[in-house]
Amino acid sequence: MKNFQSLKFLDLFRGLFERFGINYPIMRKILAVKFTMDGRRTPTIFNQQQAKKKKKAEENGFIKSLGIYGLFSIILIPFVLLGNSLFYQMSIFYGVVMFLVMTSMISDFSNVLLDVRDKGILLTKPVDKKTLNVAKTIHICIYLFFLTVALTALPIIVGTYKNGLLFFLLALVGLILVDLFIVVLTAIIYYFILRFFDGEKLKDIINYVQIGLSITIAVGYQLLARAFNIVDLNITFSPSWWQFFLPPIWFGAPFELLLRQHTSMYLVIFSLLALVIPIIAIFIYVRMMPTFERNLQKLSNESGTSRRIERKWKTWLISRLSRNREERVFFRFADHMMRNEREFRLKVYPSLGLSLVFPFIFMFNEIQQNSFEHLAASKWYLAIYFSTMMIPNAVVMLKFSGKYKGAWVFKTTPLESLAPLTSAALKVFIINLFLPVYVILGAVFIGIFGVKVIDDVLVVFVTAILYTVICSNYLKGTLPFSESFEDAQQSGGVKMILAFFFIGIFAGIHFAATLIPYGVMSYFILLLAVVWVAWRQAYLKIWDV
Amino acid sequence: METIDEVIVAIKDLEMHYGVKQVLKGINLTVYRGQIIGYIGPNGAGKSTTIKIMLGLESDYYGKVEIFGEKVSEKNMEYKRKIGYVPEIAELYDNLTAQEYLTFIGELYGMDVETVNEKAEKLMRVFGLENVYHSRISSYSKGMRQKVLIISSLLHNPDLLFLDEPLSGLDANSVMVFKEILAILASQGKTIFYSSHIMDVVEKISNRIILIKDGSIVADGSFNELKEQNKEGTLEQIFNQLTGFNEYKGLAEEFVSIVQGD
Repeated sequence: MKNFQSLKFLDLFRGLFERFGINYPIMRKILAVKFTMDGRRTPTIFNQQQAKKKKKAEENGFIKSLGIYGLFSIILIPFVLLGNSLFYQMSIFYGVVMFLVMTSMISDFSNVLLDVRDKGILLTKPVDKKTLNVAKTIHICIYLFFLTVALTALPIIVGTYKNGLLFFLLALVGLILVDLFIVVLTAIIYYFILRFFDGEKLKDIINYVQIGLSITIAVGYQLLARAFNIVDLNITFSPSWWQFFLPPIWFGAPFELLLRQHTSMYLVIFSLLALVIPIIAIFIYVRMMPTFERNLQKLSNESGTSRRIERKWKTWLISRLSRNREERVFFRFADHMMRNEREFRLKVYPSLGLSLVFPFIFMFNEIQQNSFEHLAASKWYLAIYFSTMMIPNAVVMLKFSGKYKGAWVFKTTPLESLAPLTSAALKVFIINLFLPVYVILGAVFIGIFGVKVIDDVLVVFVTAILYTVICSNYLKGTLPFSESFEDAQQSGGVKMILAFFFIGIFAGIHFAATLIPYGVMSYFILLLAVVWVAWRQAYLKIWDV
Repeated sequence: METIDEVIVAIKDLEMHYGVKQVLKGINLTVYRGQIIGYIGPNGAGKSTTIKIMLGLESDYYGKVEIFGEKVSEKNMEYKRKIGYVPEIAELYDNLTAQEYLTFIGELYGMDVETVNEKAEKLMRVFGLENVYHSRISSYSKGMRQKVLIISSLLHNPDLLFLDEPLSGLDANSVMVFKEILAILASQGKTIFYSSHIMDVVEKISNRIILIKDGSIVADGSFNELKEQNKEGTLEQIFNQLTGFNEYKGLAEEFVSIVQGD
């Protein structure tokens, strides 16, 4: 095991720990093992570009992910540099920091807080509870320290340059308190979830936070370059009562109070809250620790009480959409797999979120340059094609599963052809994943461009189905849910570019059709026919393994 | 009994509640040095809970539990230096390699790195795992993981072993090796607490069998003693009789008839 730098630093405080009755050598060993294991995980923000390079020198994924947070901190610079309402600016600053630290803590550090193995493995050895708890706390603190530094170092240097040394001190104290607050808040949230729900629910919630973080990071990149344009820093923002409920505002208040010398009742109270609440929170946390640990046991216990009721409309839909009995069976199976598998959701849902956001990002540019009226009258509604960009990636993901080993059942059961499995998986993908996103997007587009685009929206939906069939070529020779995510290659590459090329062609034809009278309607009917034939052909030729 | 009369485990009036449910209803048990205890009982009878209490993982119990003459409590952990434990569920940090995991565990017992490393590697070799010593445990098969767990429980040469279903996943040859290991350890004065559902193994290896049902001990003695008391031929039959389970034929017939349909 490597000798970690942070542990060498910790060695300096050895005496202090020992004074509090902690077995330092044991704690150090536990931490070294934890760090080694951390190095072998992939942080959520790398999830999208996970390139598995086997046999590469071991490097800590977490340390690498800090670079991304560092890049991200650029977005915070305008808040400390420009504008004249320090109160507002710093509130936003703390808001962004709190959001990112908290989500990345939940995404990547939940398994530290929630590791139930610790008890069985470590407490059966001569390790006392206090040492283990301190080791866990130190582990989280070190992580938070790196994360916070990566995220705020740049803006704080810039801010100190502009606002002076007092700014630096305030920011430093503020960040320490924010971190404390976040740790406790996360633990309290887990505590309540575990109290009222079971461990599965908590894992689901963590999964959705991970998805949310991935989407935020991706959208954040789009905004990064425009950070200086978007931010309206000349807003007037005065303290009022509802701000009591927004913690970032508490932390923004001391800056206005001390740096700008604006004394007001609210600002003083907010500043006090920023100082007092995190400290109170720590005490509550220490108090709650034992009950929290007891609730944690729920994570390892399976409580199979909740039972999902099959919805009527789904049964109806399945019978409409599936041509034969086998396909209906697989439809239900694929539905359950995609719904229950967290790893699949983590790989695919972020791109769903992006396909919801992407079309608008491009139109946003257009609005900035021209006017909204100009946009509504244009053919920018074709931007909805951007939403189909998620299809190739999602279709490829269909062949992976965390539980891929279960795929032997397809070989041992008497099935003539496995084409219905692929066909059903694709249908479930379109209905469960693509359709909901598309309905929202379509509604917004009709809202912006008027009812005249209804037929265009329909055309794009049918195109998406056709496009799904085309992309299913990537599945040729494999079965859905039959390979390990470990083997998932980077989603880029020539294949993907080729796939995106198709979107361009479809959008081009569509554009051409809008120039001819009744063109879109005729194109729609033509597409329906093509999809019908394509699905049948693919069923026989591509999906039959 | 031909064991040296040194008390290793002493449990008196042990009770344990989970909420309103009483899982242990007054267990009394004295274990002497060198005994191999077969600790058996139906699912949910309280076996694992007893073991967890002895390991100091559960503390909300009533009664007296002493190991090596020391009181078991959250504060006291010195007695754990002489205990080895193989849990029922193969819980280990499986993203570590066997080398990393085993040296870590050895170090927790206060051994130094080189000694553990050397010892662990030798033990792995005996089990035929020398090739994967530096591979991550997550890539192991069930039997291989089980062997790592067994090694990790014995690295520090403990005097008292708690084994919870230790043979699961092992092949027949490894099972024979392991059973022999237990016999040798016991003859050297180690005490072994063996918990399992596989009755013929328990029957063969234990010199004292304790059967627990609904949180109470319903039988305690050597296999021969139990046989005389209950007039049954095998431990499995004794188990069925003592746990009041005699409808197995009926259930089996029902099961098959459902499979066949009618």
